[in-house]
Amino acid sequence: MVALPQKVNRANLLRSRWGSEVEQTGEYSVAADRSAVWTGLNDPEVLARCIEGCQSVSKVSDDVFEASVKAKVGPVRATFSAAIALTDIDPPSSYLINVAVKGGPAGFAKGSAEVILEEADGYTVLRYRVAANVGGKLAQIGSRLVDSAARKMADSFFAAFEREFEGQDRRADGASGNSR
Amino acid sequence: MQVEVTVNGQAHVLEVADNTLLVELLRENLGLTGTHVGCDTSQCGACTVHMDGRSVKACTVLAAQAQGAEVVTIEGIGSADALHPMQEAFRDCHALQCGFCTPGMIMSAIDLVSRNPGIDNAGVRAGLEGNICRCTGYHNIVRAVIQAAQNM
Amino acid sequence: MAKEQGIGAAVKRKEDLRFITGSGRYTDDLNQPGQLYAAFLRSPYARADILDIRSEEAEALEGVVAVLTGVQMAEDGLGDLPCGWQVKQKDGSDMVSAPHPPLAVQAVNYVGEPYGIVVADSIATALQAAELVTTEFRELDPIVDLVLATDSERIHADVARNLAYDWELGDAEATDAAMQRAAHVTRIEITNNRLIPNAMEPRAALGIYEAATEEHTLYTTSQNPHLERLVLSAFVQIAPEHKLRVIAPDVGGGFGSKIFIYAEETAVLWAARRVGRPVKWTASRSEAFLADAHGRDHLTTVELGLDAQNNFVALRVSTRANLGAYLSTFGSSVPTYLYGTLMAGQYRTPNIHVEVSGVYTNTSPVDAYRGAGRPEATYVVERVVETAARELGVDPADLRRKNMIPPDAFPYETPVALVYDTGNYEASLDKALALADYVAIAERKAEAAGRGKRRGIGLACYIEACGLAPSKLAIALGAGVGLYESGEIRVNPTGNVTVFTGSHSHGQGHETTFAQVVADRLGVEFDAVEVVHGDTGRVEFGLGTYGSRSIAVGGSALCRAADKIIAKGSRIAAHMLEAELEDIDFADGQFQVRDSNRSLSLGEVAFASYVPADYPEDLEPGLSEKAFYDPENFTYPAGTHIAEVEVDVDTGVVELVSFIAVDDFGHVINPMIVEGQVHGGVVQGVGQALLEHGIYDDQGQLQTGSYMDYCMPRADDVPDLVVDATVTPCPHNPLGVKGCGEAGAIGAPAAVINAVVDALGTNDISMPATPEKVWRALQG
Repeated sequence: MVALPQKVNRANLLRSRWGSEVEQTGEYSVAADRSAVWTGLNDPEVLARCIEGCQSVSKVSDDVFEASVKAKVGPVRATFSAAIALTDIDPPSSYLINVAVKGGPAGFAKGSAEVILEEADGYTVLRYRVAANVGGKLAQIGSRLVDSAARKMADSFFAAFEREFEGQDRRADGASGNSR
Repeated sequence: MQVEVTVNGQAHVLEVADNTLLVELLRENLGLTGTHVGCDTSQCGACTVHMDGRSVKACTVLAAQAQGAEVVTIEGIGSADALHPMQEAFRDCHALQCGFCTPGMIMSAIDLVSRNPGIDNAGVRAGLEGNICRCTGYHNIVRAVIQAAQNM
Repeated sequence: MAKEQGIGAAVKRKEDLRFITGSGRYTDDLNQPGQLYAAFLRSPYARADILDIRSEEAEALEGVVAVLTGVQMAEDGLGDLPCGWQVKQKDGSDMVSAPHPPLAVQAVNYVGEPYGIVVADSIATALQAAELVTTEFRELDPIVDLVLATDSERIHADVARNLAYDWELGDAEATDAAMQRAAHVTRIEITNNRLIPNAMEPRAALGIYEAATEEHTLYTTSQNPHLERLVLSAFVQIAPEHKLRVIAPDVGGGFGSKIFIYAEETAVLWAARRVGRPVKWTASRSEAFLADAHGRDHLTTVELGLDAQNNFVALRVSTRANLGAYLSTFGSSVPTYLYGTLMAGQYRTPNIHVEVSGVYTNTSPVDAYRGAGRPEATYVVERVVETAARELGVDPADLRRKNMIPPDAFPYETPVALVYDTGNYEASLDKALALADYVAIAERKAEAAGRGKRRGIGLACYIEACGLAPSKLAIALGAGVGLYESGEIRVNPTGNVTVFTGSHSHGQGHETTFAQVVADRLGVEFDAVEVVHGDTGRVEFGLGTYGSRSIAVGGSALCRAADKIIAKGSRIAAHMLEAELEDIDFADGQFQVRDSNRSLSLGEVAFASYVPADYPEDLEPGLSEKAFYDPENFTYPAGTHIAEVEVDVDTGVVELVSFIAVDDFGHVINPMIVEGQVHGGVVQGVGQALLEHGIYDDQGQLQTGSYMDYCMPRADDVPDLVVDATVTPCPHNPLGVKGCGEAGAIGAPAAVINAVVDALGTNDISMPATPEKVWRALQG
């Protein structure tokens, strides 16, 4: 680690990668069996409880949802409406979540998340890979923060999601949600 | 909500919305338009005022946070016939062109100098890092601050 | 009068007292009874069709007065925003200008493009309502890359290959032939990075409409209120000129970005009429980043041919210029007539050919930013000359000196359409080299190396063409307006003087400089002169401030008006003193009968003109004169800038350790103000070289959209600057002045990059030379 000299404009050092694409992977362990996790992930009521700032989730059809979420990405704060379509569904092990999020003047995000559930010893490992683009104010001011905001939302979602299964087939300590 | 605040020595009791910023209170409620807004990310320093003796960016302070505080703006540090030494130095040294960043720059500089009486060129440059000027290239601002430091 | 306040004196500025006490009056400081506030609906997409705008929910919000869109604006018969300069292509055809409605109607073509305006009783409500408008877009793949754009889908239906024009200047054949014969050819490819002007006062507008009189008033942040009125009347057709008053009060910096006629002020004035109440809008900085016209953004290949004695024999330049999604007010002229014409630089290169493709992309419109074409040209010339010197192993200063136009060669006609009137380029080079202690650079490099730093020195010998002129030529080349300036001097009955100028001051200090000129010419006290500008209701006409034209053109107009005052005053004085007109001399504010002690002051003559008791019968009362001054040529400021840098080899951080600017601006009215202009220009140029870059990603999203990511120069990024001058007076204007507003921004980028290249020992590094780029270059 090289100490930075004093005379340096911080704005130039803060970012070395430019672009409005977000790419992220994560892995969480949920203390429930795979079919219970799958059911939870497809239940609008469970989702509404687990998504931070969620105003509503409604199921339009078996594989199409609509959601309204109040979210904050750095200085950008808005109510975002999300249209969610599930494709490549292979219950209870995987699907592809396609999302188009609109926040009016706050901007938009669109992308997809590949979700894979794996059965482990009394719990379920969930892996996801997200690829998304952001635009508008989210890209202009928030894009440096989108990665961490997305990570934070995912962490908060899975922490809440895990709590949904508390009291059910709960596994020993150490299997609580974590991300890397 | 109600805010009690003293601005430039005058006490005010004002009814404002909860999310009102100090800079909005100054500009809109009190008509003190010398304090300017140059950005929306708290970077440019055009809105700098003094709150309880320290410089703050008034775009980043809620009016509610100024409850009970003593606020001083550019209008409160001197007048046309009795300028503050910093104002005098800015004019002497041609440390302003369009004048838009000037009030914030002067308010920051006063705080900087009062905390660092013997400040040098490098100290002024580092200390004014939070105030952007697009016109002067800073050269004359630095000269002015050092000159004022000798007269304050 | 007091000579210490006349021409050449470093007079303290008249305008400062209001600015340092917080008494300036900028557009956002103004309020009207019953005023409403506007927020704009802006596209989040770089390219999309607008399918549907649903505003019922927004309109239902308490406090919302109207949600208006481009459809309604078109229904009201408002016209498009025009491009004011028609460029002729290589084949003689006109450039292809795409329609530019102030508010987008069917399609949006850059992120931030406005397509609607929300009017409400508070800013907060207007912004909240804007969030409630749901707009359905059909997204299209944006065309962002300047190279790929000409092989991509059409952004505008009528513009093939997204090409606004394919333009050339100079003799292609002769240049090719000379290049063939050259003993050495240096070829480089360079980028001129996109910049975002960032005047510290964001743009703002306050529109007022009086139904009873049909009078429209627009307060706005403009560098040229009369041009604004002309365009809004003649092209947008919002109101006839005599019913439209445009006022640009205190304006917090412009740097070109406030020349242009934008959508927002147009929409605000129109909305005020629609709703019958005053409407105010002030841009947030975020909006400014997206919707102010950007600057620069060129890709260039340049070749310099030299003979065996290192004389320049040919220069060939091919440039692709990004014009953004629409042609802004002067967007077409910047990469052509303000760029290609400067390719001779200070050198007697006999054969030059320049070709420029002006390309549309789905990005903010690009237009003039401080220097406007001339920094780009200087960068091309001075980078290729520097590279040639390095390739040939000769001293860069020597190579420049060898090829400079000598002082006895003026007037000098270049191969790219200009006639340089006067200059002494070697004088400024010599002075700058002496100030830089150029001969001792090797020792400084060695000393720095001992500290683990790489030190480098870089020169830029620039020339610029200021005060675009004459009108006849400019109009023949495609300009939509003349390029003269107006000035009026009123000697009031009590002898003090009110000056009206069509130039506009937004930091330049005209209230001081122009007062010095008039005080000097009329021999009155500086404090007895007041300068009025920026109001179409008070100043007859004007073309505003840009291109470093104010003193050379606006100041000259005032000299002409002063001459007329003196001429009329002499007739009055001759009558009153019972002398012959030809015996009246005017000096130091006194009309005097030659070789006598009989005299009258200007004030006495003025009083007599308004109270004409003892007065010539054939003369109209009053002492007020105006003049329109149309220059016969550009002015040609030139000079040498020298930058010295130290590169930290561990971090790649470039520290600018010294900067020397020696400029020839001809005569100087107020050296304090001129130096200040150079300081500011230099630091903007340093910003371009080391810090600033407007970056779009491949989806056309602006990545550098705030001060967190767009790196503005701050006080600790630059050292104290050394500014000096040489003087060759301009021979064709009454003051001998040339203009000083842009020189710093023109010379500095090339000087700094040449210094960085010298430090690194490489042949190129692209602007801005960020720590990351420099560090990578250091790794080889």
